Amino acid sequence: MQMNESVAEKRIADLGMDDLPLVQIRPVSQPVPSDWFRKYHDLVHEFVQSLTDSIQELAFMNLPQDDFMDLIMGRRMPENLSVRFRTPLVWGGKLELDNLFMCMTFPHSHNMDRFIIEQSGNDAIWMPNPAKKIYLPAHMMNGGDGGNATSDRLSQIAAQIAASRGME
Amino acid sequence: MNSNEFLSLMKSHGATVYPATAARDITLANNALQTRRCAMFPAIFTDLYKSASAINLGNGYIFGPVECVRGTRFPIPSVVEINLEMVGNNALHGKTIFGRNDLFWFAFDAFGTFYMLDNLNLRILRKYDDPYRAMSDCLIAGKF
Repeated sequence: MQMNESVAEKRIADLGMDDLPLVQIRPVSQPVPSDWFRKYHDLVHEFVQSLTDSIQELAFMNLPQDDFMDLIMGRRMPENLSVRFRTPLVWGGKLELDNLFMCMTFPHSHNMDRFIIEQSGNDAIWMPNPAKKIYLPAHMMNGGDGGNATSDRLSQIAAQIAASRGME
Repeated sequence: MNSNEFLSLMKSHGATVYPATAARDITLANNALQTRRCAMFPAIFTDLYKSASAINLGNGYIFGPVECVRGTRFPIPSVVEINLEMVGNNALHGKTIFGRNDLFWFAFDAFGTFYMLDNLNLRILRKYDDPYRAMSDCLIAGKF
């Protein structure tokens, strides 16, 4: 059944993401290049390394410092983090950094999958489209428990990494 | 390949394997799947679950018969929980979802066929006769 905006917003709120912006797209199948997976893999690495500009959101994820460093340095994706397309490749999305965002795998990315699957067959699909590179529901933006992984500390680390890459 | 060889292979890729499941929990999960008209676990999964529950590699997950708690992180849901959420979806009729990554979901049916599904609409993208190949694809595609 086709969802209108208020139904889509209610459903995404029921899935625990009441502040997640949605955008409606008309899915039209597009050919995907044969080497898309290698390019996607490389793009995800590039995206993760670009997160030095999203320190506040990363800090609210309360990652242990080792996980934070591994993430920012592009060495390893910490558990329970997902990188998603805003517009899927098969529906005309581009393999570009602007077409990606990060969120928690459970419950958010999995529930976004459910939200999209529930609309399958519709002429128009409501897609999650967070304003920033990282989506974290507002109710989870309540600060960390202090220690080494506070926002200030992580900001310092990110600034050092950015400086070492000549990104300042 | 057997389940121990599969687990060793996945560990060599860096997978986290959660502790084995009690036989009682496997039976309870199987009963729960049956009552919801999902496919019951094939023998290969029953065997795997005696050595492991959930398996995680990057954003690739094989779900276990019971929820896996992992410290302060959100728990890994059980197969039953995942499939309960999807009851009524026609694309999954007779199938049981057993895994996911950021691009695909994975399922099996009662006839021993395994499937890679599009995570946008659950369209079948690939069929497998070899369950270890399906599980490997699920986890390896999620590797960072």
